[in-house]
Amino acid sequence: MAVEFARLEGRSKPYYTAMVVLAGLGLVGTFATYYMHVHGLYLSGMTNRVPWGLQISMAIFYIGLSAGSLVVSGLYGIFGQMQYKPFARIAAYLAMLFLIAGLLSIFTDQGRLDRVLVEPFTHFNLRSMFSINPSLYSGHVMICVIYLWALFREKGTLTKIASLTVVLWAIGTHTGTGAIFAFVPRELYNSPLLPPSFVAAALSSGAALMILVNVALFRAAKRPLADELVVWLGRRLLAIFLLVTLYMMLIENLHRSYLVGTREAGLFFLFGGFHSLLFWVGLITLGCIIPAVLLFMRRTGTSVNWIVFASVLVVVGVLFERFLIVVPGLIHPPELFPGMEITSSPIWEGVVRYSVSFPEITQALGVAGVIGFAFLAGLKFMPLMPTEARAVA
Amino acid sequence: MDRREFLKKGSVALAGTSGALGLPLLTSCRSQEAHADGPLAGRKWGMVIDLNKCREDCTACVDACRNENNVAYHEDQRWDIHWIRKVTIESKDTSNPIEKSVLLLCNHCENPPCAQVCPVQATYKREDGIVVVDHHRCIGCRYCMIACPYNARFFNYRENPDWPNKEFPKRSHGVAESCTFCAHLVDRGEQPACVAACASAGEGAMAFGNLDDPNSEVSRLIADRPVKRIREDWGTEPKVYYIGL
Repeated sequence: MAVEFARLEGRSKPYYTAMVVLAGLGLVGTFATYYMHVHGLYLSGMTNRVPWGLQISMAIFYIGLSAGSLVVSGLYGIFGQMQYKPFARIAAYLAMLFLIAGLLSIFTDQGRLDRVLVEPFTHFNLRSMFSINPSLYSGHVMICVIYLWALFREKGTLTKIASLTVVLWAIGTHTGTGAIFAFVPRELYNSPLLPPSFVAAALSSGAALMILVNVALFRAAKRPLADELVVWLGRRLLAIFLLVTLYMMLIENLHRSYLVGTREAGLFFLFGGFHSLLFWVGLITLGCIIPAVLLFMRRTGTSVNWIVFASVLVVVGVLFERFLIVVPGLIHPPELFPGMEITSSPIWEGVVRYSVSFPEITQALGVAGVIGFAFLAGLKFMPLMPTEARAVA
Repeated sequence: MDRREFLKKGSVALAGTSGALGLPLLTSCRSQEAHADGPLAGRKWGMVIDLNKCREDCTACVDACRNENNVAYHEDQRWDIHWIRKVTIESKDTSNPIEKSVLLLCNHCENPPCAQVCPVQATYKREDGIVVVDHHRCIGCRYCMIACPYNARFFNYRENPDWPNKEFPKRSHGVAESCTFCAHLVDRGEQPACVAACASAGEGAMAFGNLDDPNSEVSRLIADRPVKRIREDWGTEPKVYYIGL
């Protein structure tokens, strides 16, 4: 099946407006980062009890999105599934950009921006997940570049090899990202299920985003997109990823709540605060169950508009899930004295609260702006989008 | 491109990439282990705190630490740093009401999770067992704070407005820190500020010394009295021991 790719014209008013808005967000975010670098991170909502917050949650969200995009792209590259060929280039480019977004989010969160580009490379720590992962991410970006190049040159064998490498490397990267949290002795972090559950949610959110991006792009560029392709992405891929994610969540929380040692923390996560609402309503109901039902039911699962709606729910659900990985484990205190409780202290020793600050939100929007700008620019200067996407007979 | 060319270019690309990615590994090949004849070798510093002697209204150790080490205080619990802090704990079992004061500080674990996770090896354990932070290398990622199960590490969220002890540096905002066992005092044969203050202004509840020396005060206390460390089941091997916990 011959698929033709063409650059986006990129001269329309909506295009230019989007570019200006995104560039503006990027600039504002850069300023916010610089301002915090000069004056201190106290301008964020983070505290000594909650040292990681919005930026790290967004970082792992972006990194997770890149996995799902790559798997969609890889389905064409590895298995020669021709129906996914139209999406392969956009998916590979987006995956690369999401990884960069993750790196940017982490970068802007550091206390000493003047050292962050030097020290991690001159003083590597093989035992630290935070040291291993940036190497995985940079390697991943390089492999994405090679993979995109292979796709452009339509090199069959190189595409197969590059796409296999990139998918395997992606699984490694996302396992590593989950390990940042899982390999640390905090009650709500320490879990061998966290890395695979992270990968499962990554695949869900990435597949959902692929659906959203492609439907939006094709409609905006007025290029035909066959319904069957969207239905394949939704019912064949996304629905399965959702079920796996739900299964992982179930086992993780059952395990934590069952064992005496982690029960208090497990029940705090499930029922102990506002985050519990985010979990049950945001992640489980809106982010997993409702989309899964919509996708599996024939009437809604074969309608592009319903699939798009389900995809939006999934992306939002996974955003909540990333936040739920990072923050509840920090607002819940460690049990230093079993059987005792700390009744007075100069610091907050019990359950604390975390709320994002305006500069933090600005930083996060800035990263989104930079990546969005790069994506739209890529569409204009590279033949990423197919002229049409038809289902194979 | 034919197969031969692909193999040639592919090998070069792979070699180049592996080399580039592997170069940082060379620096980590340098051994971080203690040299048997180094200046800090032969000692393993530890502390014993007798909670039975700790007077409820006394804050000598806390004040001495803050003044000696320029520990930042902003009167805001979000950002205040406490290298050592005094807490009150009560039993949850109301039929057996126990209430006591406990001093919490960095435990200088033998297996420090903070040093394990530091991406730039800014946090490390010295040969004499003291866990310190190189504030000129720390990038402020706060992973050590995430990894510490004792909540004993803090971050400089804003510039420290005070500098009581001009003979000791104060940290810029953007770096992590925790108690250093007053390594700068210990290295010249003195006691940590908290221990010295407790001995002179307090009840002498704190002892500091060489755990590897069986005749040191700390070793004798550990051998003779029932001592306990916080959450020994975590496997971190803390070096702060408590009597009466």
